[in-house]
Amino acid sequence: MMTAESTPTRLVPVRPLSAVTLAVTTFVGIGAFVWPLLARPGQVGSTAAHQTDAPWLLVVLLPLLVVTILGEMTAGRLDAKAVALLGVLAAVGTALRIPTGGVAGLELVFFVFLPGGRVFGRGFGFVLGATTIFASALVVGGIGPWLPFQMFGAGWVGFGAGCLPKARGWRELVMLGSYGVVAGLAYGVALDLWFWPFTSVDTTFAFVPGEPLSENLSRFWAFHLSTALGFDLMRGVSMVMLMAILGRPTLAALRRASRRGRFDAAPLLVNSPD
Amino acid sequence: MTILELDNVTVTYEGSDRPALANVSLRIEEGEWLLVSAPTGAGKSTLLGLCNGLVPHFTGGNMSGTVTVAGRSTEQCPPRNLADVVGWVGQDPASGFVTDAVEDELAFVMEELATPPATMRRRIEETLDLMGIAELRNRPLSTLSGGEAQRVAIASVLCASPKVLLLDEPTSALDPAGADDVLAALGRLVHDVGLTVIMSEHRLERVIHLVDRIALIDRGQVTASMPDEALAIAPHVPPVIELGRLAGWSPLPRSVRDARRVAAPLISRLADAATPPAGPPPHTNDSPRYPVRASRSPAASGHIAVTGISLAHGRRTVVERVSFEVGGGGGGEVLALMGRNGAGKTTILRAVAGLTTPSAGRLRIGNLDPAAIDGPTRIRSIGFVPQDPTLLLYSSTVAEECRAADRDGGLDAGTTASVLEELAADGTIDANRHPRDLSAGQQLQVALAVVLAPAPTALLLDEPTRGLDHGVKDRLASLLRHRATNHGVAILLATHDVEFAATVADRVVLLGHREVTAAGPAAEVLSQSTVFAPQVARILSPLPVLTVAAIRRTLGRIETNRS
Amino acid sequence: MDDQPVHPGAWWCWMLGLAAAAARTTNLIVLVLTALVVIVVATACRIHGPLGRSVILFTKIAIGVVIFRLVLQAIFGLRLGERVLFRLPALTLPEFMAGITVGGPVTLESMMAGLNQGVRLGVILICFGAVNSVSSPARLLRSLPGVLYEMGVASTIALTTAPQAVMSASQIAEARRLRGRPTRGAAGLRGIAIPVLEGALDRSIRLAAALDTRGYGRTRDDVAPNRQRTASVALIGGLIMLSIGVYGVFDTAAPVGLAIGGLTAGAVACGASVIVGHRTHRRTRHRPIRWDRRATLVAFSGAGALAASILTEAIEPGALDPSTFPLVAPTLPIIMAAGLALALAPLFVAPRFDDIEPDDARAAGLDIAESAATLSVSSGGDVR
Repeated sequence: MMTAESTPTRLVPVRPLSAVTLAVTTFVGIGAFVWPLLARPGQVGSTAAHQTDAPWLLVVLLPLLVVTILGEMTAGRLDAKAVALLGVLAAVGTALRIPTGGVAGLELVFFVFLPGGRVFGRGFGFVLGATTIFASALVVGGIGPWLPFQMFGAGWVGFGAGCLPKARGWRELVMLGSYGVVAGLAYGVALDLWFWPFTSVDTTFAFVPGEPLSENLSRFWAFHLSTALGFDLMRGVSMVMLMAILGRPTLAALRRASRRGRFDAAPLLVNSPD
Repeated sequence: MTILELDNVTVTYEGSDRPALANVSLRIEEGEWLLVSAPTGAGKSTLLGLCNGLVPHFTGGNMSGTVTVAGRSTEQCPPRNLADVVGWVGQDPASGFVTDAVEDELAFVMEELATPPATMRRRIEETLDLMGIAELRNRPLSTLSGGEAQRVAIASVLCASPKVLLLDEPTSALDPAGADDVLAALGRLVHDVGLTVIMSEHRLERVIHLVDRIALIDRGQVTASMPDEALAIAPHVPPVIELGRLAGWSPLPRSVRDARRVAAPLISRLADAATPPAGPPPHTNDSPRYPVRASRSPAASGHIAVTGISLAHGRRTVVERVSFEVGGGGGGEVLALMGRNGAGKTTILRAVAGLTTPSAGRLRIGNLDPAAIDGPTRIRSIGFVPQDPTLLLYSSTVAEECRAADRDGGLDAGTTASVLEELAADGTIDANRHPRDLSAGQQLQVALAVVLAPAPTALLLDEPTRGLDHGVKDRLASLLRHRATNHGVAILLATHDVEFAATVADRVVLLGHREVTAAGPAAEVLSQSTVFAPQVARILSPLPVLTVAAIRRTLGRIETNRS
Repeated sequence: MDDQPVHPGAWWCWMLGLAAAAARTTNLIVLVLTALVVIVVATACRIHGPLGRSVILFTKIAIGVVIFRLVLQAIFGLRLGERVLFRLPALTLPEFMAGITVGGPVTLESMMAGLNQGVRLGVILICFGAVNSVSSPARLLRSLPGVLYEMGVASTIALTTAPQAVMSASQIAEARRLRGRPTRGAAGLRGIAIPVLEGALDRSIRLAAALDTRGYGRTRDDVAPNRQRTASVALIGGLIMLSIGVYGVFDTAAPVGLAIGGLTAGAVACGASVIVGHRTHRRTRHRPIRWDRRATLVAFSGAGALAASILTEAIEPGALDPSTFPLVAPTLPIIMAAGLALALAPLFVAPRFDDIEPDDARAAGLDIAESAATLSVSSGGDVR
């Protein structure tokens, strides 16, 4: 028995300033990913040792951007229920990551912030993605240079899940599932794009500054195909399976918690005339 | 001076047509110790929540009337703005911990209140001493026992120097020693520090001699009165009061000490009767009927044999060479396994259920090794209800849960549902509700129905009485007695609820320091123990009587013998 | 020697200095020496618990990266150099994969180039492993800036609730076995994962009530509205400057100063605005980890290694970047060696592994695996 919800819960509203901050930080963040495709010769990073200077600059910059966007979205604006829910869902994601472990295995964890963003809104989805990645990194292995990228990527995955249009029943599952597959692949491409300059210097895969975009793109594509695409496809397949098995009860459980927790508890105080 | 005042307060939750509490007016003086007593679901959590603004700011709902705490009205102040005058500890303190170490937990509330660091350090030291937890200061919170966790939770709200302390069932999950520690600490707070304490509690026998007033909740109405008046109208009273009424003592003594002063005549009267130790009755009058599978003959009775088992947890030995038997003499029996926290009760129960294998010794249920039997056979031979009954429940509605249980056990459709109906008696459970939305008592009933529907010959229960009020406990006791006596089920019960064990157990096994320290008929073992003796046994010591009902029967027998 | 832990920020400065120095060179000797320095300090000053062994884990990953890089180089590397080691069968990829030729002769020069690249990446990874080893997550969470307080609380809740989620999963699996239901496969996954999720969600409500009643989220009403406005303006300004800086990085026509200036100014403005702006909640900290002289020393020792790298580049250009085509043996510049020796300073001021009591929860930090094990011991044997 499902009650139709006219207004979905928005746990972390996205103010205009937050939206602008998110846009700019993402723009810079994307710059951190795609700069090799666009870089021109003769600027910061032309010799072999300095070819990776520019990305390092962005590597150092990105944590600051993550702090900025997360601070802007959460500072002073998460009440007790929201922060408890955030912590607990991040815990579930962390617990999922413990057996699959390691640096890469993120399939299961994605599955936590997809329904989370869907049920509780896109702002919450973003923060949940970032927090889950951060907390699970503290447990599994530790903080590595990839962490800000992962946090950003996961945040956007969660955000996107909250932007999906209304749907119910199996349609919703299909929508979420396909979004999950696409997001997972995009995430893999983005991370590989970041990793590419560091590993591909002096190989035939290396990007050559100044060459047309299509040339560099095809080089990257060859790199991606041979190294990471297999993992990404596996991730997509496991996402589909998880959505099929766990999708509906997970969404139901989260919606029940939303009702029971009365997150929009606006108490009605009626005072008898005294 | 009035520290807390409720003025004509009515609370109605969303989606409910009846108010949870109606027209409540209550005035609480500073330094008072108030006990709130009510059956589950009657609204005691609502009453406590009203006192610090959780109701309605956190829970939602409609509220009329005013609540004023230390001059502040909860209408304007949500709970976080009242944190410096009211402290609240919920039912499960461990789920309210937000940090990882004890000292950080204590500091949390003061950090939120922007207390200067020097004051923070001083208050932490004082609170650690006040609650008696100074040696725990650096311990991770996950390693604390129940009593320690409860005291740390109280300490964590105490650091804000509140004037009022609200506690929701602080001792319900604790063993006698842990409960004593917590109550002693609360006594210090009330008498030495001058705090006002409002707490709800089911186990009245532990607290009625400590409190100043008792508030009873019945159908949404709250009446607060002095203990004597309250006990006169309360639906359930502790054994000492019941005994006092039976023996005609006046004024009614409220503590064991007071009762012993006037108990001498009764003791000699009972001793003269020279009757054998009174055990629990075969079954009470209002025992429900349960469907018995036609194929099973009543003569097939359960038998649990534990012979010389040793169990270890990692490298730590929990029990060594423990032996006992349940249902050995043909016909069913209830055996209570008792001991302090960490003595190994749950470990033994899990081994008997077949979840772990002992490192030495032998376990048999009937003729079967519990670890070796598979799913369907196991359901028909062993029923195990863990400490948290919701672990057994995983469907989204009660009706689905019953259907799943029917399928698992290969039973006819509707068997589990009918078992549940008989269990629930008054207050039937809505079949469409989610199991996790039910009260603790109702969850236990559903779990019991699921476990009992296949009519297993052995039944294992791990701490079933946590959070249950007297009505549900009585029904549970009569159900267990009925199953043992009429269906020959061997029931193994791990508990530290002394009063419950006194009403329901035939025999008792006491565990201490890895081995069995005492075993025998319940009346003997419990009356001779200092820690695990029920109130009646303590009052009438050295007579081996455990319950007021037993005394009533003995006195009745004396009368009939005389006539 | 002081027993109190060194401020995590100092350790991060130390690590970033060394990692930046490693990122600036492909000199194999310098890289290996850097790795040794880092591993020695991390092993000596590590915290108790599994995270103390992060440096070992990351070293293994680093070795994996090196091997991967060598394989990549062997198959896909540029065919430069003279001394052929062995030959792989050559294969021309089709047009849609850029028509690259793979395989063919594998030269020593090529492999050395790959080795240098791989080791550089590996050393940077080892640096990250080291900073994870010496500074526990709990300490890190307690030292977060005020603007990330809510994130810190949520992360702490996540770290303390995760072991319980793992515990309840195994308990639920057991209970399912008791009811004769499957614990594997699709039905098993659903039957275990969903109750774990629901239990966690129920717990979050109790947790929220506990947070609320302990004053979480109290607001001060006396924050100047001007401050808020200034912070918002600074944030927007910082974002604009960031955008300019990024544009400057990509566009060659623009002066280098635009890129660096824009990025730095933008970053500073953004950071300042977020830190200054959100002061609606005033909080104090109990026993914060102070930044003392030891912390300054640790931070500077890492910066010293970076400074040595920059200095070496200025004085002996090319020493940090020995060419591989033609192959030249790497040498160790003295200034670089001095800088690396300076980076050993934490050994003498930071608390050592052997001196810390393992029972001290604060020193040991949060430890998930051990917490889960302790939970199972105490709740299996106890009755709570």
